[in-house]
Amino acid sequence: MTVTSAPVRATPRHVPQAAPRNMARLLWVELRHNAMPLVLPLIAVIFWFDSYRIAATLPPLWVVRLYYILGQGHALIDFAPFVAGVAAWMGSRDGRRGTGDLVTATVRPRWEAQLATWAATVIWAVGAYLVFMAVTLYLLARPIAWGGLPWWPIAVDAVGVAAFASLGFALGAYFPGRFIAPIAAFGGLFAMGTSSQIGFSASGGWALILPTMSNGNFGQDAGIFYTWLPDLSVARVMFCGGVAAVAVGLLGLPVRAGGPRLRRSAAVVTVTGAAAAVAAIVLAFTAQVGPYGTVIPALHDAANDKPIPYTPVCGHAGIPVCLQPAYRPYLPDVTTALRPVISQVAGLPGVPVRASQAAAVFAPGPTVGGPDHVGQIAMVRGSPPVLYMPLGTIALPSSFGAVTASFVSQLKVEFAHALVTPGSSYGNPAQQAVEAALLQHAGISLAAQPKALGDTPWPLMGGGPRSAGAYPPPVAAAARRFAARPAAARRAWLAGHLGALRAGQLGLGQLP
Amino acid sequence: MNVELTELTRRFGRTQAVTGVTLEAGPGVFGLLGPNGAGKTSLLRMMATVLPPTSGTLRLLGRDPGGYGPRREIRRRLGYLPQNLGYYPGFTVVDFVEYFALLKDMPPGQVPGAVATAIEQVGLGDRARAKLRTLSGGMLRRVGIAQAIVNQPELLLLDEPTAGLDPEQRVAFRTLLREFGQRATVIVSTHLVEDVAAACSEVTLMDAGRMVFHGTPDELIARGQGHGIGDAPLERGYSAVLAAARS
Repeated sequence: MTVTSAPVRATPRHVPQAAPRNMARLLWVELRHNAMPLVLPLIAVIFWFDSYRIAATLPPLWVVRLYYILGQGHALIDFAPFVAGVAAWMGSRDGRRGTGDLVTATVRPRWEAQLATWAATVIWAVGAYLVFMAVTLYLLARPIAWGGLPWWPIAVDAVGVAAFASLGFALGAYFPGRFIAPIAAFGGLFAMGTSSQIGFSASGGWALILPTMSNGNFGQDAGIFYTWLPDLSVARVMFCGGVAAVAVGLLGLPVRAGGPRLRRSAAVVTVTGAAAAVAAIVLAFTAQVGPYGTVIPALHDAANDKPIPYTPVCGHAGIPVCLQPAYRPYLPDVTTALRPVISQVAGLPGVPVRASQAAAVFAPGPTVGGPDHVGQIAMVRGSPPVLYMPLGTIALPSSFGAVTASFVSQLKVEFAHALVTPGSSYGNPAQQAVEAALLQHAGISLAAQPKALGDTPWPLMGGGPRSAGAYPPPVAAAARRFAARPAAARRAWLAGHLGALRAGQLGLGQLP
Repeated sequence: MNVELTELTRRFGRTQAVTGVTLEAGPGVFGLLGPNGAGKTSLLRMMATVLPPTSGTLRLLGRDPGGYGPRREIRRRLGYLPQNLGYYPGFTVVDFVEYFALLKDMPPGQVPGAVATAIEQVGLGDRARAKLRTLSGGMLRRVGIAQAIVNQPELLLLDEPTAGLDPEQRVAFRTLLREFGQRATVIVSTHLVEDVAAACSEVTLMDAGRMVFHGTPDELIARGQGHGIGDAPLERGYSAVLAAARS
């Protein structure tokens, strides 16, 4: 070519202030052309079918309804595969469309251009999650009488959605192709399935960090008697946020991604993300299941152990019966359950003068609303004696097959058991026989009792043959004999022997 | 000097795509001719700063693109239309051109006007709101040209820009090239010698990665007098030079 002497034009073109405004405009263009909105109707249908539809049938307590959606991770399971797939599709766009040279030949570093696409993808995904959750919470809230929302688990899911979007996007950017979207979606589904399966078998260690791992992340009466413990959720946010940062940071490391300064920034993002994720896993290893949920000592705030103040709602079943207001819908069922049992023993020494709800807890320990060991099974404690009922451990009506009759039946069994035993023990044959007789007169026949007993938490507490089948013949015979006596005779015998019976000092032969 | 190449070489494994190309160019329209596989696209990609040379030196717009800062400044003043234009089917013409205007870091206030001007210049004003998936191949090529010129580049690299354009559009496009050549360096890689004859003040012929001719179109025509094959004088010059280079 000919050498010419024309000067190179040196017009100053760079406008420093242009960068943020251009990025904002770029983000707007990407938001308008993102593929994520196309799958949102499908996610909405699946979310409605899998998460909302079932949660709406559960008892009207936040902890129960949201344990299904958030604790077991159904919301994340509904979102993650689709989000990962669409994000992979968006991440692979330049590779699939052959625009790599065009984008590379522009002023903006390639990583910045990718960040705009990634940000638009994440905004759509996380925004949709938050909107879906807001609508779901609004609809689920209608029959709920009392209690606050667990914001941290919602944050875990939101950051989890961002993590899946970031992982999918990075996968697409590194391996562009038309099959990368279904591969990423399947990977997301596989990760969710594996995470849930691990949740069924593991109850501690690194597995706690998985966002759909249900063990220990929801206290049974969290948000009702005690606050939602955020410890594990904070670690999970760290983990998911760290994974997202690593995925995004890795895109900025190749030479083609940008200049040295930008690549250093990408390296910092990657290392910081990895450190956060690793730190979160280490924190999970230190987690312990406490009475109110999982406690991570390094993250635990003692202020969260304080009970939530409330004014109880009360009814009468021969004795005053008071519940936490969140359980107000169950007050009639509770009085119905207690009345036939209390009517047999009211006024006797050692018989409760009132019944009060206690917080359901994961493990024995100092509990809210009652003395030690109350919180896993109904117990009679104190002077004057009070019946403490942790209703949170009993399958409430409409929770996974339970009905009002089974709830009432379980409550009768727990109350009768608490009357004749210290509560936490299985009971000797004499205690079993008297309990069986009391239950028979409370409306549960001897034949029906094994099933009713099997539905109680006792099997989980190392129960025994009583919960697995019929009573041993001597116990059944003694129970029939005691039940056959007139009410006044039973009451008279109990008046004289209930203390000794509760203390385990009587044998079958000493029953009338 | 806008383009200064010295012994520029590019290898892909054992394949020598570009071998020892040396040339300089200031403002004007330069044609890059050659058969398939001659190395034209590799040479343009190196000039577009998307492909680093294996050896040799490259200076564009007075800067060395080997450094990150200078490379950004070159790209700020660069327009590039690759041979295979990738595009996003869901974008409208306006969105696509605006997208690249933003990536070229144009001042935000200038972007809407520049986008509209570029689209008008390629004759797509009436299809500005059409999605790219609805456009014909020739229209897509014009969209590619629009994104290349939207930042009023000082160095415009066009790889097969007239492929798929109808005759009327090719005539209009050559006019556009000549206008740009008044103030910028325009390098056009093409198979169509009539484009070179109509629009280029200089022409370079490549074969097997080497530069086998450079001069004016008239000089190329002169090489073909009494030699070469083809219907047009420039074609005869083209074939004569290639035959001589291969003999």
